[in-house]
Amino acid sequence: MKNRLFKKALMLLIFLICWLTSVTAILAREIKQEWEILNPEGVVKIEPMKINPHPVTLGGKIVMLRWNGKHNGDKFLDRVGELLIEKVKDIRIIKSWEVAPETVDPITGSQERSQEFAKTIIKFKPDIVIGAQSD
Amino acid sequence: MDQLNLEKMGIPTVTVSTTEFAPLAKDTALGQGAADLSFVVVPHPMGMIPLAEIRKKAEMAFPEILRAATHSKAETKFPPMKPAYPAAKLKLEGTIEEFNKLMFEKGFSLGIPIIPPTPERVTRMLKGTSLKPDKVLGFVPPRMGTLTVELVAIHAVMAGCKPDYMPVLIAVLEALLDPKANWRGLTTTTATSSVLVIVNGPIIYEIGLASRQGAAGSGHHANASVGYAINLIADIVGGSKPPTPDKSLLGGPGDFVCWIFGENQLALPQGWEPYHVDRGFKKTDSVVTVMGIYPPVDNIDHWSLTPEEHVNWWANLVTPLLSIGGPCWITQMEQPHIIALGPEHAQLLAAAGWRKDQFKKAFWEKARIPFSAWPKGCPNTDLLMKKFGPVRVDTPIPITLRPEEFHMVIAGGAGKHSHFFAPFPGCFPVTKPVRK
Repeated sequence: MKNRLFKKALMLLIFLICWLTSVTAILAREIKQEWEILNPEGVVKIEPMKINPHPVTLGGKIVMLRWNGKHNGDKFLDRVGELLIEKVKDIRIIKSWEVAPETVDPITGSQERSQEFAKTIIKFKPDIVIGAQSD
Repeated sequence: MDQLNLEKMGIPTVTVSTTEFAPLAKDTALGQGAADLSFVVVPHPMGMIPLAEIRKKAEMAFPEILRAATHSKAETKFPPMKPAYPAAKLKLEGTIEEFNKLMFEKGFSLGIPIIPPTPERVTRMLKGTSLKPDKVLGFVPPRMGTLTVELVAIHAVMAGCKPDYMPVLIAVLEALLDPKANWRGLTTTTATSSVLVIVNGPIIYEIGLASRQGAAGSGHHANASVGYAINLIADIVGGSKPPTPDKSLLGGPGDFVCWIFGENQLALPQGWEPYHVDRGFKKTDSVVTVMGIYPPVDNIDHWSLTPEEHVNWWANLVTPLLSIGGPCWITQMEQPHIIALGPEHAQLLAAAGWRKDQFKKAFWEKARIPFSAWPKGCPNTDLLMKKFGPVRVDTPIPITLRPEEFHMVIAGGAGKHSHFFAPFPGCFPVTKPVRK
């Protein structure tokens, strides 16, 4: 008799412990909620810029090859220049690094400097500029 | 940017870029409204390959270059711009972990936790400044996101700032938006660059900004949260995310929290002025000075007993590591470099009667490496000779063209360390007053 009572008490105790543990776990679980926030992205300001029309042919035109100083850019443009002279009649090639070495500067992230370079380059009155950028 | 400026002056252009950098180039053009800029893309890389290979790449690209040079693109129409203020509202659902996961997926975080910028929190943050929330401070490159004061407050909340920090944060952003700061170059480069912020004046003590032991490290709420907010704005409003347009080859901790510390004005030797006084401000002014930098070199000197010994060690330690300019990037030689002197090193100099100018001159004279140290492919040798004078293989080349290009601040606490910050090319220090 005593043994049966003891077993019943033990089972009740085990049940209570399990019940308390699951209630605690339910309470501890984080509650989902609705978040209303302000968009952190910000609106992009784009002022459309009109791109200049390209000549229909490079024949008889002045083409400036513009190198910004990154390694091999000049070598790449040298070959482009050779091919332009080969294939296009009456073309005149100007290499920026030969006529304006001060414009050879690999990092022209500075707007001021970039504008200075552009002002130097337009003095040579190119009809089009072909630029080699990046690494 | 160079081609864009030429287009603005009426010259048509074609830009040749490599596969790895074409997306950045096109994004930059789009951000400036030049969606129709002409590009020719060649396989990466162009640099550091043999002559025969680069000539072959030119031959392969030539038909496309010729076609691009003789064809104009149709004009792209842009949708009308939405108002920048007030910021739109977003609704998200989930636990705080789920919220952070969603924000990261949207590109609205750096991958570490943020605090939700609820309208109520943003309203409280705006109490930290007298500026109107709809005031436009500028446009954050390269995405050209419109930065209103309200948007600054949104990011300040996300970073965990207190409202008291808003004046410092706004001053830093005004400095970064100054063209001299070259924020665009800094956030799109392949270099491991980041922003350096030096704070001077009473504001340091008013908001508890760290300026002594470990000032640029962890454990300082004002420094950490302002530094975090700056990078949140750069990445989210400016769009500077890796791998494009942020091309940083390795990246670094400076992409999460930028370098920010107060000058240790209490440790200034007798007769030495704080940095902001050197910059033309009054001692009682509160200012921030901002510059784009490379990671610093730590000058460990436990042994020098005289200024001359100390300068000699500085020169021999720093010069080979951070002489980036010279015939390779002449721009760098005309930019300020920051020497953050530890207080004990400053005392060593001051005890012998040295002032800042004396150290700058002595360091400038000593800190040189021979011309032969630079690679042969450097493009600015002629320019270097124009500005510096004739050079031979053994001519010692200084870090800067003038000793005045070294700027000195007292930084940190006890210990025998100082730090040298070289500028990212095109970045100049910009100082702005802190307005409450």
